[in-house]
Amino acid sequence: MAQQTLLSPAELAYLHSSLTLSPPIRPDGRTSKQFRPLTAETGILPGTNGSARVCLSDGTEAIVGVKAEIEKTVDPLGGEHYQEYVKSASGVGGGDAEADRSAARGEWLEMTVEIPGLRDDDAGTVFLAELLREALLADGEFAKKLWINRRFHWRLYLDILLISPPLSYPLPLLSLTTHLALLATRLPRLKSEGDEDPMFDDDWEAAPFLYPREGATTGSRPSITLLVVAVGDSILFDPSKEELAVADSALAVSLCEVRTQREQGGMEVDSGRELRLVSMRTIDPPSRLTPPGVPSTANLAASGTSDTTQQKQQQRTEEHPQEGVWKAPLGGTRFAVLDSIMQAVLEKGGVADEVLDGLEGVDLA
Amino acid sequence: MPITIHNPQPNAPAPRRPRAVDIDMDVPSDSESDSENGGAAIEGDIPMLDGESMHVDEEDEDEEQTDTRDEILTPGTVITSNAQWMRGHGTYVPPNTTSITSSLAGTLTRTNKLLSVRPLRARYNPEIGDLVVGRIVEVQAKRWRVDVAAAQLAILQISAINLPGGILRKRTETDELQIRSFFSEGDLLVAEVQQLHQDGAASLHTRSLKYGKLRNGVFVAVGGTGGGGGVVRSKRQLWTMETSNAGSKIDVLLGVNGYIWISKHIESDVAAEAAGINRMEESVSSQIYSSQNNHIDVPTMREIARCRSVILALVENGVKIDEDTVTRGYHEAVEFGRESADDDIYLGGERGKRLAAALSGR
Repeated sequence: MAQQTLLSPAELAYLHSSLTLSPPIRPDGRTSKQFRPLTAETGILPGTNGSARVCLSDGTEAIVGVKAEIEKTVDPLGGEHYQEYVKSASGVGGGDAEADRSAARGEWLEMTVEIPGLRDDDAGTVFLAELLREALLADGEFAKKLWINRRFHWRLYLDILLISPPLSYPLPLLSLTTHLALLATRLPRLKSEGDEDPMFDDDWEAAPFLYPREGATTGSRPSITLLVVAVGDSILFDPSKEELAVADSALAVSLCEVRTQREQGGMEVDSGRELRLVSMRTIDPPSRLTPPGVPSTANLAASGTSDTTQQKQQQRTEEHPQEGVWKAPLGGTRFAVLDSIMQAVLEKGGVADEVLDGLEGVDLA
Repeated sequence: MPITIHNPQPNAPAPRRPRAVDIDMDVPSDSESDSENGGAAIEGDIPMLDGESMHVDEEDEDEEQTDTRDEILTPGTVITSNAQWMRGHGTYVPPNTTSITSSLAGTLTRTNKLLSVRPLRARYNPEIGDLVVGRIVEVQAKRWRVDVAAAQLAILQISAINLPGGILRKRTETDELQIRSFFSEGDLLVAEVQQLHQDGAASLHTRSLKYGKLRNGVFVAVGGTGGGGGVVRSKRQLWTMETSNAGSKIDVLLGVNGYIWISKHIESDVAAEAAGINRMEESVSSQIYSSQNNHIDVPTMREIARCRSVILALVENGVKIDEDTVTRGYHEAVEFGRESADDDIYLGGERGKRLAAALSGR
C-alpha cells in the first residue's frame, strides 16, 4: 500500500458503518459507482510520441509521456543462429508476417512510475508499475504493435509521473492517464520494406497512431485498471483515501476493450464493444493494519482503575463486536462480493462502459 | 452518469478591475477587510497596486496599471525601492539596498504605508487561545505530539489534560504508564493553544469540558488561516445545527487550523448537570476518552455527509468557511437535494459551482 492514512478508531467505526448501509453513504456524498470529476487532456509534451495529463478534482494530477526508440532484436538463442535464420527466411521470401509478430516480447515495454515522496525502488511503486504493465500486455496484442521487422522493434518507454502528493491510492488515476497517452501515441511511418534497416517518413503529420482510430477500426484498445473497494456488501468505485482506509478488501480490476465488427442480418454493421477482463489483483487494504477500537466498558481511562470485573468484560467484548467500535477486517474477499464486483464492472452499461464512453469524449491531440 | 471528464479550462483572462487609487491616497477600506475575514485572503480582496505600477512614470501609468493588477509576486520580486514604504510580513530588504523585496509567493497587500505579501497558501500559524482540531501522531513518555497542520507538531503534556476521576486529581505514575488509554496514535482531539514556544511550536491543553477526544462523526481537512479559501477566525468556531430530512442535530467544529469535525450532537446528561460542578466532572469524564461511537441513525449520517460535501464544495470554489457560509450552504444544498428524486448529496463539479454562486449571489 502506498501510504497509510492515520485515522482514529472512532472515525474508522463511523466510516465503516456509514459505508455498509444500503445504499452506502460515502463521506463526500457520491453514489457508489460515481467517480470524482476529472480534467483530461492529451498531447501536452511536445518532445514525446504521446502524452496525457489527468487532474482529479481533489487536486491529484498525473502526467504520462511515451517515448519510442528503435532497438535491434536480439535472438534469445544466440547471434549466429539468428543470422542464419534471417538469411534462410529472406531466401524463402519473407515468411509469414503474422507468425513473426508473435515473436514480439513484453519486455519491449518499459514502465516507470514516479510518486513524490517515495523512492523509485519502493515496493509500492514497483508493484504499481508492474500492475499497470501487466494489464497492458495481458491482451497479447500490445507487444505485436511494437514489431517492425524481424531485425528491429520499437522499445517503448512509458514514464508515469504523479505530480501531486498521493492523496489516495493513485492506481485508477495513473491507469486512465496511461490509457489516454497510449491512444495519443504516434510512431513514425515506416518507409522501408521487409527486413532491411528501417527508414521512416520525416513527416510527423503522416505518422500513424499506435492505436488506429475512427471508423472501421477493430482490435483491442489499451486496458484500463479500476480500483474497486468492498465494505461489507457495498461496492465502491474510485475510493477516496478515507474509504480505502476502512475497506474490507480492495481489488484492481483491469479490462480492455476489443472492438469487433459483426454483420448483423447482412444489413447493419454493429461495431459493438466487447469488454474483456484482463487481470484482477487484490491490493492489501490499509485497514488490516489498524489497531482495534476499545469499547467504553473496557477503557481504563474511562474509570481510572482496572479491576477484574472489567477484564472479564473485556474478554467478552472481544468475542462479540459491539456497535460503534472499530474492528479490523479479517480474512479474504467473499465470493459473492467478487461476483457482484465483476457484475458491476462488466455488465452492459456498467461502470467500465461508462468510463470508456467518458474517455472517448477526450479530445486526442 | 458515474464519470464526468472535462476538457482543461483555458487560462481565464484576469478580470478588469476599476482603476486603482492614487498611491498617495490612503486606503482605509483594506485594513478593515483584514480584520473582518480574519487574515485570510478571499476572492476579490486584492485591489492592490503592485510593484511595477508603483514606480512607473506619469505617462505610461494607464496601461501599466491595468495590465498588472492581480499579479502574483514570487520570492525575489522587487516591490519598490521608494523609501516612503515600510516593509511588512512576507517582504525583506536585501543587504546594501533599499528596495523592498518579496520573500513569498503571493499577492501584495498595502495597509497605509506598510507593504506586505499575503502568501497564496501557508501553513497554520498557531496563536494562543486558538481552538484547534488535532491528530495524535506520536506518543512519548509524558506527552503527545499532535498534528495541527502547523509547521511543527504541537505538544500536549499529560499534565494539560483532564484526568479521569475529577479535575483536581494529581497526575500519577499510573497515568503515565497508561498514557495510550487517554490518547493513542491517530486519535482526533479538540484543544486550545495554551502556549507558544520560541521556535513557533505550540503547546495545547484540553482542560475544559468542551475539549477532548472526538467521536461520532467525520473529519475533513481544508486550508487554515493564511491561504485562500478555508477556515477563518470568527466569533464561534463550534456550533450546533438543526438538520433537515429527519436528521437530528449535528455539531460542526471548525478548527482555526483548517481541520474540521462534523458530528452528531449528543445531549449532555441532564442529571449530571444538576448534580453540581464537582459531580459533573466525574460523570462526564467517564465518557471523555471513549472511542466507541454512539448509535447514529441513517438520516443523521446522510446530513453529516451533506454538510461535509458542502464544506468540500466551498473550499473547491474558494469561498471562506465560517458559521454563516456553512449554514447557508447547507440550506442551499438541502434545496438542491430536493430537485432530484434520489436526493443527491454529492456537490462536486458543476453542482459545487452552483452552490458557491448561490451563496455569493444571495
